[in-house]
Amino acid sequence: MKSISVRGLTKEFKLSERNGNYRMIRDWFSAGRRKEASRRSVSFLALDDVSFDTEPGEVLGLIGRNGAGKSTLLKILARILRPTRGHIELRGRVGSLLEVGSGFHGELTGRENIFLNAAILGMQHREIVRKLEEIVEFAGVGQYLDEPVKTYSSGMYMRLAFSVAAHIEPEILLVDEVLAVGDADFQKKCMHRIEQVGKHGQTVLFVSHNIQAVLRLCSRALLIDHGRVAHLGPVHEVAASYLSTGGANQAERVYPEGPYAPGDSIVRLRSVRIRSRAGETLPTVELREELGLEMEFEVQDGALVLFPVLTLQNEWGTEVLWATDADTEWHGRIRPPGRYRVTAWIPPHFLAAGAKTVTAAMYSFLPRVEHFRETDAVGFQTVDTLGPGTSRGDFTGHIGATTWPKLEWTVEYQEHRHLHPAGSSASRV
Amino acid sequence: MTHDLAALPRPALTVINRSGNGLFQKIAECRHYRTLFVFLALRDITLRYRQTILGVAWAVLQPLLPVVIFTAVFARVLRPSTGGVPYWLFVLAGMAPWSFFANAINISGATFVSNHNLLNKVYFPRMILPGAAVAACSLDFLVVSVCLLGLASWRGYYPNLGWLLLPVVGLVTAGLAMAVGLALASLMAFYRDIKHVLPFLVQLWMFATPIMYSINLLPRQLQPAVGLNPMAGVIEALRSCLFGTPPDWRLLALSGFSIVAIGLAAIFLFHRLEADLAERV
Repeated sequence: MKSISVRGLTKEFKLSERNGNYRMIRDWFSAGRRKEASRRSVSFLALDDVSFDTEPGEVLGLIGRNGAGKSTLLKILARILRPTRGHIELRGRVGSLLEVGSGFHGELTGRENIFLNAAILGMQHREIVRKLEEIVEFAGVGQYLDEPVKTYSSGMYMRLAFSVAAHIEPEILLVDEVLAVGDADFQKKCMHRIEQVGKHGQTVLFVSHNIQAVLRLCSRALLIDHGRVAHLGPVHEVAASYLSTGGANQAERVYPEGPYAPGDSIVRLRSVRIRSRAGETLPTVELREELGLEMEFEVQDGALVLFPVLTLQNEWGTEVLWATDADTEWHGRIRPPGRYRVTAWIPPHFLAAGAKTVTAAMYSFLPRVEHFRETDAVGFQTVDTLGPGTSRGDFTGHIGATTWPKLEWTVEYQEHRHLHPAGSSASRV
Repeated sequence: MTHDLAALPRPALTVINRSGNGLFQKIAECRHYRTLFVFLALRDITLRYRQTILGVAWAVLQPLLPVVIFTAVFARVLRPSTGGVPYWLFVLAGMAPWSFFANAINISGATFVSNHNLLNKVYFPRMILPGAAVAACSLDFLVVSVCLLGLASWRGYYPNLGWLLLPVVGLVTAGLAMAVGLALASLMAFYRDIKHVLPFLVQLWMFATPIMYSINLLPRQLQPAVGLNPMAGVIEALRSCLFGTPPDWRLLALSGFSIVAIGLAAIFLFHRLEADLAERV
């Protein structure tokens, strides 16, 4: 028996060009023009003919880029949004952790918020009373239970919110990015909790950007791309196909000889690739590895000082890195005609995990000329690893930052009550 | 873990499609969310009086202050016929249910918009939000009613059999407020104009309701029309129970009819608009 069965699910959003999200009474008086407006409204398919099933006890991972339709799918399953077409059958009570703490109110105490939030999530009074102790213990907010939550630290607040949500016991649990809360210790607790839920015969649909977490919790995964099911199968296969589809999905690009290559009569781009020291082309790079952004160009007219520039964008289009050859012998000198291969080396433990694209450009100044600028010339994936020696160490949660450099950290530890002279107890790590 | 679930009342199978739940299914579902209803109402009450000095006394002061003003102004000017009831008591008997009703529809009418973060994150029967807001206001009404009964006894209107009907009048008022609040909340999610026009409409509605005047003051031809105002019937019924005056049956019948009509219209309106609610708020 299937616990979730989704057939031909389609969701269309109408984006009215006229006035955003809501209509106004004014529209009543312009009935004639309303038809015209609806003709002009743009529709957008957030989900397009999605079908899949889950077995009871299964933890299904849901992965995809931002805006691929994951959240829309969860919201339809949670009955927050209504589908445009399609049919869904859910067997059993559905609980959703779409965003923890959305029902919390700062003026209410921790205890009051527990009751209210648990009721919002569909729990009955008896059930809440029975689990109160467990919830408080899991969140670790014991002594502040009767203080208004506005006095809580953000960590305590999130822990309490997650704890309430983690104690609903539905047969189907929808989880969206909640592991992004709290410290490493609390996150381990959360992961453990979700694992346990799966073992008790409950179905979990788990959405995360953290491939590591999906790999750990799920046996099967569903990859959604532009609202369609791109891949459904064993989690390792799906994760691999997610990682291999960047915006630009090749790690090497060679441009044709002659006038079709980007550039002008001064200089033309020949190739761009991601490489290792040994010279291999790398579509996927572990964060612990060094990588090189290589660019080859041909100078045809040796009269200008040229500045090759390489930039790196992440999956959200944010430029995370900009580099030029500032410390080479050629920097600031006129380059004679010929072929040049330049490589910018990115140290290990520096980038964030995820999809990256490379833009290669060439400039000269006085006057400023852009000879070429090839956006998203190549793409690659940086893959996250856990453990000693990495930037994230044992931290298992979601990291939103654009770079995760492994920095030198110093620790100054003071034993309780005994203050040592500053510096003498400092130890370098 | 799982054996607890078997004991819970829940549908074994949930079907999701374009048309959504039927109307009766929606109403039946609310029963499983009693706890939420209670805690939402408690939240509203707690938040309203936490960090106020006078606390629940505000519940009494709110309808009392207009009574003082109206009495000072109109008692002499209008010389209203109240059937022998002191004018201030007559006005208070009208103002008590009215201020409850006006407060309740003002607050519950905004619930979908003000709880948009909830509507976008969690599923629960949406009807509960305006319903719980009205329930929270009814505590105030209860306090005011006790004061009203005390004052009436003090002026010689002793408890009689009619008083037994007062809870029914209160429940009808609450039901009416829930219906109007539900309709307003649904409409406000789509047309924010409601938010701006509502205070004005409520004011207008108050003057159209026989609170500081008696219906007898109006021209005879206009009297049946007043009956279509459901609050006119509520107030007439309350005064008649409280003071033991004979009720105007035609007025009560008309108001009863309009209460039922408003209730049905509100539920159907909500049912039609609910599908797109989360996308609109």
